[in-house]
Amino acid sequence: MEGRIIVITSGKGGVGKTTATASIGAALALEGNRVAVVDMDIGLRNLDVVLGLENRIVFNIVDVINDRCTVRQAAIRDRRIENLFLIPASQSDNKDVLTPTGVKRIAALLKKEFDYIIMDSPAGIERGFENSVTAADEALVICTPDVSAVRDADRVIGLLYARSITPKLVVNRIMPAMVARGDMLSHEDVMEVLSIELAGLVPMDDQVVISTNTGVPLVMRNDSKAGQAFRRIARRLNGEADLPIEVPGAKTGLWNRFTHKFGLKK
Amino acid sequence: MILDDDPPAVKLKGVGDGFWITLDPSRPEQLLKDQLVKLFERLKHLAINAKVVIDPGGTEGYDDLIQNLGDFLKTRFDVGIVSKPPKKRQVAVERIRQKDLNRGWTRHRSEVLMLRGRVRSGQKIEAKNHILITGDVNPGAQIMAGGDILIMGRLLGHVHAGYPDNPSAIILALDFRPTQVQIGEYAATGLDDKKTDRVEFASVIKEGITVQDYLGANPFGRLPWPEVV
Repeated sequence: MEGRIIVITSGKGGVGKTTATASIGAALALEGNRVAVVDMDIGLRNLDVVLGLENRIVFNIVDVINDRCTVRQAAIRDRRIENLFLIPASQSDNKDVLTPTGVKRIAALLKKEFDYIIMDSPAGIERGFENSVTAADEALVICTPDVSAVRDADRVIGLLYARSITPKLVVNRIMPAMVARGDMLSHEDVMEVLSIELAGLVPMDDQVVISTNTGVPLVMRNDSKAGQAFRRIARRLNGEADLPIEVPGAKTGLWNRFTHKFGLKK
Repeated sequence: MILDDDPPAVKLKGVGDGFWITLDPSRPEQLLKDQLVKLFERLKHLAINAKVVIDPGGTEGYDDLIQNLGDFLKTRFDVGIVSKPPKKRQVAVERIRQKDLNRGWTRHRSEVLMLRGRVRSGQKIEAKNHILITGDVNPGAQIMAGGDILIMGRLLGHVHAGYPDNPSAIILALDFRPTQVQIGEYAATGLDDKKTDRVEFASVIKEGITVQDYLGANPFGRLPWPEVV
């Protein structure tokens, strides 16, 4: 069976695309799939750092496209998680060295080798975005609960629909306390504007910074709420579509459910 | 000698809550006044505070004469309001109305672009005339129409109705919270973006854009018949 290409995109920068790519890729590999995470941010590569694989890069995606190496040579195997591979971006080139045709060609090769190919799209809607979505079967749009990120995500959703890709939404960095105070958009507010299928909600988590700096995938840390949320998103992508969406901060204890059911508490 | 077969220059008729005077404006003013005095003296106290309509026989351009006679009647007989006969509907307007009613609106003059769905950020929709969207307009989306813009959903984007210079256009939305509104050459920003339970619409009133409760203001409820726009 051919693998699925999932592009992770957002429009706006700094909303957590790379973290999401690394986490979802690692989580899918932990579920037993053969996964390649591909850094499409040519010239500003980050995914290798987040995965802690920066010192093992020999070849990159530009080398594959220019036939300087094979896909297998460029794919770096993660030593902690079986079946997780990274195809890094080039740090010295710019986005114009890739073309949609070239990306489609290696996408076909990757599909034969892997079950899931997770592509980390750069910010923006220019050439880098075009290259990332050109071969994608599915898309995950990452959005933080703020007005500017929602606006950009909305634009990207429109562009994805124009390419006949139906995207799913991940709302990242939710701060339940701020939402409760009304200082932050709730995921319902975001959904009201974007109105696409929700893939998951990820809470704000300090562990993300630690994980990014140490290169230990977030989903390997059991104490990370964001890591757990990404694992659930991966399970949803991996066939468990009915897995209920957990709302960060919502009280799900037995006593709370009991009082809520009997109308004692809202 | 006054000829008896000369038709009277002034006729008086009681209508509803007042009097209707038909006169021949080509006759000298003094003669008209004399005849009026004769008629009004007979009315006695009935003339006091009465509504009087002076009709110069359907002809136009005798406003001064009507004004003079009105003042004369007011001082001499204490009548209330003196006015010209109400204007009849113009022939052209009346013809359109008849056409609308008889044809049952089967022949439309209207051009409406009707869309269904969500207009997202970065998408721009232009319509030559009116536009009707059953769906939402997101922030960052732009709608431009030569006529009215009607949104059956949330309006959060940027809208320009009556483009380029038709200030009679309106913008209506079930949930009216646009980023910016333009009607013809007028623009408005910083509108109250609180969610209300009311259907609101924007129109140009006195050189500025005003947003009102649609059902409260009912802008088209008093039109005499349904118009094709």
